[in-house]
Amino acid sequence: MRISDRRFALFLMTPAALFLAVFVAFPLFRLVADSFFKISPIAGGPRDFVGLDNYFRAFASDAFMGAGWRTLAYTLVVVTLEFALGLGMALLFTTLGRSSQIWRTVFMYPLMIAPIVAGLLWKFLMIDNFGLIGTLLHQAGILSNPNQIGWLSDPNIVLYSVAVPDIWLTTSFMCLVLFAGLQNIPGDLIEAARLDGARAPALLFRIILPLLRPVIAVALVVRGIDAARAFDTILIQTNGGPQSASETMSLLIYRTMIRFGDPGLASAMGTLYLLAMLTVAFVAVSTIWRPGKDN
Amino acid sequence: MHVAERIEHDGGTPAKAATAPSAPAAVIPLRKRRGVNREGLEAGRRSTRTLLWILLAAAMVLYGFPFLYLLFTSFKTPIDTIAVPPTILPREWTLENYTNALGRSGVLASFINSVQTAIISTVLSLVLAVPAAYGITRYKTLSGRIFIMAALVTRMVPPVAIGIPLASMMASMGLSDTPIALSIAHTTISLPLSIWLMASFFEAVPGDLEEAATVDGCSRLGALWRVVIPVVSGGIAVTAIFAFLASWNEFLFALLMTAIRSQTTPVVIANFQTQFGLDWGSMTALAAVYSIPVILLTLLLQRKIVAGMTLGAVKG
Repeated sequence: MRISDRRFALFLMTPAALFLAVFVAFPLFRLVADSFFKISPIAGGPRDFVGLDNYFRAFASDAFMGAGWRTLAYTLVVVTLEFALGLGMALLFTTLGRSSQIWRTVFMYPLMIAPIVAGLLWKFLMIDNFGLIGTLLHQAGILSNPNQIGWLSDPNIVLYSVAVPDIWLTTSFMCLVLFAGLQNIPGDLIEAARLDGARAPALLFRIILPLLRPVIAVALVVRGIDAARAFDTILIQTNGGPQSASETMSLLIYRTMIRFGDPGLASAMGTLYLLAMLTVAFVAVSTIWRPGKDN
Repeated sequence: MHVAERIEHDGGTPAKAATAPSAPAAVIPLRKRRGVNREGLEAGRRSTRTLLWILLAAAMVLYGFPFLYLLFTSFKTPIDTIAVPPTILPREWTLENYTNALGRSGVLASFINSVQTAIISTVLSLVLAVPAAYGITRYKTLSGRIFIMAALVTRMVPPVAIGIPLASMMASMGLSDTPIALSIAHTTISLPLSIWLMASFFEAVPGDLEEAATVDGCSRLGALWRVVIPVVSGGIAVTAIFAFLASWNEFLFALLMTAIRSQTTPVVIANFQTQFGLDWGSMTALAAVYSIPVILLTLLLQRKIVAGMTLGAVKG
């Protein structure tokens, strides 16, 4: 008695599908449902249906709109910088060839460090008074005193400072992926371009980057999604401060829920956040990927 | 000491130091050169290569130093950790921070919790992902295609969005503050990732393998178990590493779902900040102890990890 292949495939997929339905889809459904209620933070407290009221409150609050822009700025800064650095490192490793292999391995180590630890160690480097970075810049004569720049205490620059551990952690990922892509570019192609007198910039922009396009697309989308969800590194460095200057969307939702005890509003914000992420991701995938052209 | 000088030398402008290689301009010397370079991308002239090695050294210092500084700090005396101005190397080397950190109540227990949670979550991910990925790749059904897209969408869900309802679900199931609850939460992250990874490993297995097995009288499940799984065991190992690391380093779910009994080490590290304010010594020691095993693991298994990282992103 043989069941059909289709049935067999379904049978294999069912356990994982059930798991995701129960522990991802259902909580998401709960999140969306909760966003229409005013909920007391006390367990078993009252739940009142308020329609779209939480959504109006979210859009009317400066905290929410501010967190939205900050999340966007943070994501752009992180992804742009780590892409530039990762590409630079990948080209460097490719150019140096086999002799740099050991260093490629060493360069991977930040990837394995917990974001919470990365945030902690960069906070320790940037913190006022006993932070090493200010001290070194001061000793080098760049700053007039070690605390001249308040990396984590100046609201104007804190959003860029808290991005540093994120960039530091994941440059290696960009580098690895781009390096692997570079290995697949046929050497004689580069050779031929050189013979035609192509200079390095032309080589990079006219041959290497276009050929790497699909790889770059995947790397940027994956990292963009991760950066937009940043939480651990920022929480441990500044907890969103000073004056909410580094409060990105994940932090705001967490605080709305835990600190201000407003599950309904937090759920509405979470729902909007999720929708924005999905929209941006799909637009990004469909524009950079150009399905059908690469495969 | 010369390390410090190097840092000062290119400190402050890390971007410059490391993006400079976007000058493969260095690859071709600026003087017009029309010679044939027979090594593809390999740099030609010796002076150019020296310059590139210097760039590499600078990048390595910039990327390597932060963690080394954390290590050095963990060996300082508690007072010296917050000395103004700070020194790079400890003035006297001591294990005081380590004995302080590991002697705190709950710290050793948190390590056990971290290991437990990561192992349960890894096993759960693999048990669910291996058959699912096989079903998706071996039988190209519409349901399979829909399912793998759904798994991809799951990757986009911000943890904070499902963490809160998930935590209350666990509470109503009577699982709050247990390693099981956190393992399940971590599996929501590692399962989609594992399905994608395993699917690419199964893609590489030729179908006639199991066909031969089924002709020889194996059932389809038997063929999967006896023939296909041994072939992709390397891929399973890679997937296991990733699932384990995802759980080991995860913080947000751990913060939302654990209280006292099931706390993992990342949560303890974060709590040090609030409870003991300026105890940087203990924090650096604990962070070092938590990170070193996984760093060593990476260096040992780097080939496998690179293969997993770049899978899917790079298709020949």
